[in-house]
Amino acid sequence: MSDWPDPAVDYVQAITDTKILLGQRYAQWSLAGPSLEDDIGGASAAQEEIGHVRQLVRELEGQGRDADWLNGDRDPEEFANASSLDRIDGEWPEYLASIAPADRAAWYMLDAIDRDDLDGLITKIGEDEYFHLEYHDARLETLAAEYPERIQATLEETLPQALALIGPAAHDESADPVYDTGFTDRSTAELREAFADHYRELFADTDVSLEAVDWDAPPIEEWDETRRRADGGAVSEEDVTQISGKQNELFAMN
Amino acid sequence: MSSAPSESNDVSTASLTSEFVAERRTDASPFEQQLWDVLDEIPDPHIPVSLVEMAMIYDVDEDDGHVTVEMSFPCMGCPAYDMIHNDVESCLTVLDGVDEVDIEVVWDPVWSKDMLTPAVRNKMNESGISL
Repeated sequence: MSDWPDPAVDYVQAITDTKILLGQRYAQWSLAGPSLEDDIGGASAAQEEIGHVRQLVRELEGQGRDADWLNGDRDPEEFANASSLDRIDGEWPEYLASIAPADRAAWYMLDAIDRDDLDGLITKIGEDEYFHLEYHDARLETLAAEYPERIQATLEETLPQALALIGPAAHDESADPVYDTGFTDRSTAELREAFADHYRELFADTDVSLEAVDWDAPPIEEWDETRRRADGGAVSEEDVTQISGKQNELFAMN
Repeated sequence: MSSAPSESNDVSTASLTSEFVAERRTDASPFEQQLWDVLDEIPDPHIPVSLVEMAMIYDVDEDDGHVTVEMSFPCMGCPAYDMIHNDVESCLTVLDGVDEVDIEVVWDPVWSKDMLTPAVRNKMNESGISL
């Protein structure tokens, strides 16, 4: 049934699970923003992420993954989301500095997929992501002026976590198993470099220093190739229950 | 591939790209034309035009009672996604000659407001919707 290489299925699963958690976090925080515009933007992004998930789940089902499992009928440790989304520690500035790198990392990974049959889907997702990422960057800049120490401390944790989702630095063109199959047209190392360059430039003229960020994380020997992370954490049981829609099937995906 | 949204409002572009949907319908058999007509009665839940006018229906194929509707959505996160599926299925399955309806959601070509015909654009403008 599967016509994607196994590493590619895990790669898309990690993007999908990250988007599931992005939808969950956007929704949870959509009444907690400092302005009405922030709340409306968050609610809109939640809806869009869930829409992306709905389509990516169809693709993964086509690769043989079980529909119920994909839609949340699984243990927390089976989710392959960016670890910065496991939980949000802090208030709204910490929330934004946690979700923004994960959303950008997931988009870079999607945009690197080189398959004609997914081109329209990815282009359509990109139309939404354009606005997510523009909003995040603009808001990170204002938060960097208001709360530089808090944004810096959060990014020192969440940027390496987003880099782990993209993959280890050692996965250059000669060692990246997904790139090697031709599923992507850019290696993990190239995506990481673009990701790091973006944030270095974004914060260059602010009071937030990224000097202490571990841009080389994660060590490849600590990296889980299925869950695309270096730590053993996971989302909470409560998150999984909400994501699965078991308590209110009217709102279940698909 | 670009993440930049399409923002073209050029009328000549609209006229050209809307031919995509018109051509799909031109190839339809007489029975498939009837199915297109039925779909053209289903309103978009957000905008006062039909799903066909909204250029969301890309193709309708009928083979021995098995109907396949190829369609797309202007918004991937459309909250009416399931409702629209139900509308399409329920409107077609009650017709004589239709035994089964499959809906294939596709993203190629990506839906764009450039697909709207000038007449539909006018209809939307008259309803207070700017494009």
